[in-house]
Amino acid sequence: MPWYLYLALKQLFPTGRKFPFFTAISVLGVSLGVALLVISTSVMGGFGYEIRRMIVDTQGDVQVRGQGLVEDGAGLQARLATVPGVVATTPFAEGVVMLQHERKPAFPAMQGIDVNRVSKVVPLERFIRAGSLDELDDDSIILSSKLALSIGARLGSKVEVTSPLVVEKIKSEEIYLPRELRVVGIFEVGHQQLDSSVVLVTLRLMQELYGLGTAIHGVNVKIVPGLDADVAAARINAALPPAARVTARSWMEANQDFLFILQLEKNMIFFLLLFIIIVAAFSVTSSLLISVVRKTREIGLLGALGGQPRQVAACFCFQGLLIGTTGTVAGLVLGFTTLYFRNALVEGFTRLTASEEVLTRFYQFSQLPAHTSKGDVVLIVVCSVVISTLAGLLPAWRAARLKPVEALRNE
Amino acid sequence: MSDAILTARGLRKSYASGDRRLDVLNGVDLDVAKGESVSIRGESGSGKSTLLQLLAGLDAPDAGTLAWAGSADTGTKRRATFLGIVFQSFYLIPELNARENVLMARRILGRLDAAARARADELLAKVGLTERATHLSSQLSGGERQRVAVARALMNSPQLLLADEPTGNLDETTGDAVIELLLGLCAESQTALVLVTHNAAHARKTHRQLFLRGGSFAHG
Ligand SMILES: Nc1ncnc2c1ncn2[C@@H]1O[C@H](COP(=O)(O)OP(=O)(O)OP(=O)(O)O)[C@@H](O)[C@H]1O
Ligand SMILES: [Mg+2]
Repeated sequence: MPWYLYLALKQLFPTGRKFPFFTAISVLGVSLGVALLVISTSVMGGFGYEIRRMIVDTQGDVQVRGQGLVEDGAGLQARLATVPGVVATTPFAEGVVMLQHERKPAFPAMQGIDVNRVSKVVPLERFIRAGSLDELDDDSIILSSKLALSIGARLGSKVEVTSPLVVEKIKSEEIYLPRELRVVGIFEVGHQQLDSSVVLVTLRLMQELYGLGTAIHGVNVKIVPGLDADVAAARINAALPPAARVTARSWMEANQDFLFILQLEKNMIFFLLLFIIIVAAFSVTSSLLISVVRKTREIGLLGALGGQPRQVAACFCFQGLLIGTTGTVAGLVLGFTTLYFRNALVEGFTRLTASEEVLTRFYQFSQLPAHTSKGDVVLIVVCSVVISTLAGLLPAWRAARLKPVEALRNE
Repeated sequence: MSDAILTARGLRKSYASGDRRLDVLNGVDLDVAKGESVSIRGESGSGKSTLLQLLAGLDAPDAGTLAWAGSADTGTKRRATFLGIVFQSFYLIPELNARENVLMARRILGRLDAAARARADELLAKVGLTERATHLSSQLSGGERQRVAVARALMNSPQLLLADEPTGNLDETTGDAVIELLLGLCAESQTALVLVTHNAAHARKTHRQLFLRGGSFAHG
């Protein structure tokens, strides 16, 4: 080992001293920064990942919507099937209804789905907590969990559905009776908004309730895995004649604003937390500078013994690098450990502050999600190691500039 | 002289002091032969340390020439193998123990092997510190520290040893012991010694005594 690396190690971990205080503090600063970065980017990434997964799992990869109603749903689907990359399609119609159970009303968004085709596009069964998708027929309904809870409906309960069509019926002085439906399933996606305001019925029932005839609102499309959703959407748009008056949008495009804000938020947090590492690096710099001043005569002696100024500089640079690497490794361990126990930690925290309700409502998730992307970790590691090494540069430069004669004279 | 270890001719050095120049050395000539020991005395401020720094190649003279064993190469690399220096303050590296401090002289040359470790142990034995080899400098007495510094200076088997008031920070008895050690080790290994001292008794033990006065040697 070159002497300057050896000496750097010795200065950080002196012979015979159990606990190198300066080293521990410097390493701790860096590792706290790294840990916070790992935790926050992972949790932010987790939110993003969950939300993306949920969007795809409930909307499909690409959604084709008409400007108005799509009269020829079957024709549209037949044409979509010929587009390369399209695996499956399923039609939908949607709209708000009033739902009542034992005179408790709710105003959920109702989705009319094609029971035979929907599973090929979105994994709906996965979200069914009670009952089953197979039992859904024209006289039944599947409720989202929170909604069911709030109106007190259970599997087998009867709910009454009134559609906006009632307004037209009243205008033409017809009698309108609400439709009575049996609850055959409860689903839960894990997303607050979806879980409290969506109900599923058959497409035919939805068409009937809204008086659509055979028309639909659009088609959800599943594409081959690995194919970029935006590319697929562009392909579909190219394949569809403008006269069809429908447009395909990828789930990313459809949720652009939302996803953009998510990404922006994550980037902002990253940069803010990066400052923790920068501040830690400043403390490393000042400690190393103090050490250079304190060791002026030893540095002079090293020169007298034949050490080159650049080797002396390397000795201090290496200390910065070593603090940086150790701190980064410690930070990664700390960060991932915290992430591993995150739900227990959050639980403890919410129990202390009695704020579980707030947390769920505000963050939309019942469990704290985490998704660590490799790119983020690499970025964090590179930033922290580079910044810590830079922190060693100024002290190194000071040390290299010391002339042995002057350094030795320094009493 | 074929076995001249150190040859200095007309060394001059002056320092800027305010707007005037302070002439510290005005033409110093010095020859030291292989294995010879020379003592330099002089009043405080007479330029002894300045001269030693020039001889060690740590500082450049304003005028004059310097040669180590006949060669004008007095660069950092050669210094590490050619000469050893002992200072009044011992300058041990505080994070290292005695043995590691001695080995540091060899580490800087990048040649640390079993032979080097054996040499360090041998030197520590010679300065009587085998028992103290794993002590940090803070755990050593002044005399012990200076003995470690002597061992370090001799680690690379230099041909010349420069010592600047090596006993300046030691009490008389300890100082005498260090000087005996220094002279003994140098004689044993045929290492030339230039010893700067204020102590007349120490100076008398060397082969040749010089006095620095008014910027050059006044013999006698
Ligand atoms: N870097 C410097 N800048 C200015 N003056 C200096 C410098 N180094 C030494 N001097 C001056 O040169 C003169 C000789 O200094 P030097 O240290 O060589 O004396 P010395 O003989 O070793 O004294 P002492 O016995 O007290 O150690 C002193 O007057 C000192 O003030
Ligand atoms: Mg002096």
